[in-house]
Amino acid sequence: MASSNLMVGLEIGTSKICVVVGEGKPDGTIKILGVGQAPSRGVRKGEIVDFETAMKCVHEAVVDAEEKSDIMIRSVYIGITGAHIQSFNNRGCVRVSEDHEEIDEQDIEDVKINAREVSIPAPNAFLHSIIQHYHVDGQDGVLNPIGMLGQKLEADFHIIHGVRTRIQNTIRCVKELPLDVEDVVFTPFAAAQVVLTQHQKNLGALVIDVGGGTTDYVLYVDGAVKQSGVLAVGGDHITNDISMGLRIPMTRAEKLKVEEGSTVLGNCLPGETVLLKDDSGFAGKEVERETLNTIIHMRLRETFELLKRRLEDEPFLDYLGEGIFITGGCSQLNGIDHLAEDVFGIPARASHARTMSGLTSAFENPQFSAAIGLIKYAQAVQGDRQQRGRFGRFIGKFFNGMR
Amino acid sequence: MIQLSRNYSLPEKKEDDLAIKIVGVGGAGANALDRIVLDGMEHAEMIVVNTDVQSLASSVATQKVQIGRVATRGLGAGGDPELGFNAAQESADELRETLQGARMVFVCAGLGGGTGSGAAPCIAQMARESGALVLAFATLPFAFEGKRRTAQAMEALRELQRVSDAVVCFENDRMGDIVLPKAGIHQAFAVADTTISQSVRAIVNVVRRPGLIQIGFDELLSALRSQNSRCLFGFGESDSDNRAHEALALALKNPLMDRGKMLTDARHILVQISGGPGMTLTEVEIVMRELGRHVEDHTQILFGTSVDGKMGNRLSVTLISSLSAEGEVAPALPLRAAKEIASEPPPPIEPVAIQPVTEDATPVVPMMEAPATELEEIAPPAAEIAPPAPVRKERKPVPPREPQIAPVPAPLPVKPPPAKKENFFQARQEVMQFEPITRGRFEKSEPTIVEGQDLDVPTYLRKNVRVK
Repeated sequence: MASSNLMVGLEIGTSKICVVVGEGKPDGTIKILGVGQAPSRGVRKGEIVDFETAMKCVHEAVVDAEEKSDIMIRSVYIGITGAHIQSFNNRGCVRVSEDHEEIDEQDIEDVKINAREVSIPAPNAFLHSIIQHYHVDGQDGVLNPIGMLGQKLEADFHIIHGVRTRIQNTIRCVKELPLDVEDVVFTPFAAAQVVLTQHQKNLGALVIDVGGGTTDYVLYVDGAVKQSGVLAVGGDHITNDISMGLRIPMTRAEKLKVEEGSTVLGNCLPGETVLLKDDSGFAGKEVERETLNTIIHMRLRETFELLKRRLEDEPFLDYLGEGIFITGGCSQLNGIDHLAEDVFGIPARASHARTMSGLTSAFENPQFSAAIGLIKYAQAVQGDRQQRGRFGRFIGKFFNGMR
Repeated sequence: MIQLSRNYSLPEKKEDDLAIKIVGVGGAGANALDRIVLDGMEHAEMIVVNTDVQSLASSVATQKVQIGRVATRGLGAGGDPELGFNAAQESADELRETLQGARMVFVCAGLGGGTGSGAAPCIAQMARESGALVLAFATLPFAFEGKRRTAQAMEALRELQRVSDAVVCFENDRMGDIVLPKAGIHQAFAVADTTISQSVRAIVNVVRRPGLIQIGFDELLSALRSQNSRCLFGFGESDSDNRAHEALALALKNPLMDRGKMLTDARHILVQISGGPGMTLTEVEIVMRELGRHVEDHTQILFGTSVDGKMGNRLSVTLISSLSAEGEVAPALPLRAAKEIASEPPPPIEPVAIQPVTEDATPVVPMMEAPATELEEIAPPAAEIAPPAPVRKERKPVPPREPQIAPVPAPLPVKPPPAKKENFFQARQEVMQFEPITRGRFEKSEPTIVEGQDLDVPTYLRKNVRVK
């Protein structure tokens, strides 16, 4: 029993590969046993571009996690992202068969299939169909219709899909190691599981995961996912901008961004500089702080503005009672919450995984939000499976458990 | 040049006639003085002057003068400046005797109370009359101490400004800025005392330390001098690898510096860099170059540097400047003119005080020009003009010195100094970027095109924001 409660989340990020080993407690909490990570190579904008190299890095990270948690990793949940991932909302509808009036699991499965019967581009595959609400004979906002009487069952789904082969590439990379892949999860969705509480999801919140290669977002209103997506712009772009703008190598730019970067403009002294130290002992190069901050600010402001325009396609931004939660590696940039607040006009804060126990340093680091979220997701799915197992039937992995 | 260095390189000989006395007046003055004594000050004589016997007894200063034995009977002045003034008058002879023979007198006082507000201007005047150069260090009360006290302090400050050569004013309210809100009140006052102590020491060092590029009284005065001024003072010391940069950063962080923002408005800045024998030219250059970014092009930088074996590995940067209050443009008052205004009350003694100063002034000018300007066009006239009529010509060399940090060839005669905004924005020609738009690291990856824009190209390039 104990071993079945072990869950491993693997996130192949653009800047680092991260493996989190967690243990699900019977009371529903999760204890983090270990975190393994390795710098990522061969990944651009959240997707693998160099298969061999990426595989080596994943292996390193897995070995690291095995050592730290003292556990043999067999199967993992992987997080997936990339510009190809898209999402939309769709409503499925079924008539409950004449011979019984009580809605059962079969009907729910049917309505889900029905909702998926929409045209997505041929090369694409479904990643998630996340239930928002059921409608039974026109009654809105039904959360769980099983056992209810009704003739017409409708369901709103948030459907996330992406290019099949690109998703498979990531899966293959892990399978070659060899590790079993339990499930594939869209990363911001995973991150939201640990950044937000159920209460916050109900009130409405937007999670923005500003990672290395991509900026992923997921928006919750009334406890259901309403919008989600990926913008293939992330911390790497900031580093690249700095590197080009200040004419310094990428590695230096990255270090400068992490150590000195800020998104706040006008907060520096005129002429205040940052000294780039050279390891070899020569006098380093001086960089004007305001210039550095301007570059970071421009990029992030643009990213947030693009996100805002995307989200404004649907009216949900007005329903965010809890505001915006920024997580991911870049959320550590100074002043990013104020910038988001400025752009969106909604309270924003930089956040990290909550509702966890164990390695404090791990879950308090926003870089690990998504990987830890994978475990939370896994726990919910496993709980769901066991529950359904009692009925002797297994349907929709993350059906009721994940919303 | 050679004559000058002889003049200056024998400071040990002149030690006696360069006698410096530091006088703490009143309770706050005594505290500041104690701090200076505890921090260590070798070159100066410490005198504490108070009405309150108790406070006098607890002071660690070497010389103590009780004033107003009759007027206050050994108690304090009770917050009444009138009483403080009378006390000082009563003990005038004793005070004069104590102040006798000083070349330079620092008067430290907390204004707003009785002894400080009443006696300090009196003592400053006596020091002036005895022929010394007088610098007053005054602390203004906290705003919460009441309007009455503030009014008394301002009154006393005006009086001090009238009778002393320069006043360095510390506002206690600003001291609060650097102390954490949670810190104890002791700490807050200790910070105020420390700041005074630092600045007194820094100024003493500026004029006392044998300098490679010496700063004289005259320069000190022109940095501090302007009516109703508020003083900017910064001191930083560091011994790390990057000490030049850090010392300057510390100096700029000083509460009286307002994070360097005030520097843009300053007309004169006195910079003194001192360090051990290991100090390099590059370090001096780093400090001056960084400082150059904080000041306007027309600001006059009075620069001095000295090497002191005692500094060891440390390097210290001292910045002294003053801002005129209420946006009034302080004319770059030439030394003599300023002195004449300020020293109306004791006219006969005047020449004695000024004589050595003006002597120093003339030779120092070319010396400063030599290292700091590389503009051939400007240096010669300054040097030519200077010798024949030293004192009056002080007026002239001032404008040409301005471009020390501005590599603009000769826009000077036309340009009146107050029009600073204009010449700052003058003729900045847009530079066209000929580099092709690049995507850097993402050159070979799938482009991210959103709303018709290639997001892999840096945002600042697409939006045409100049970053350099």
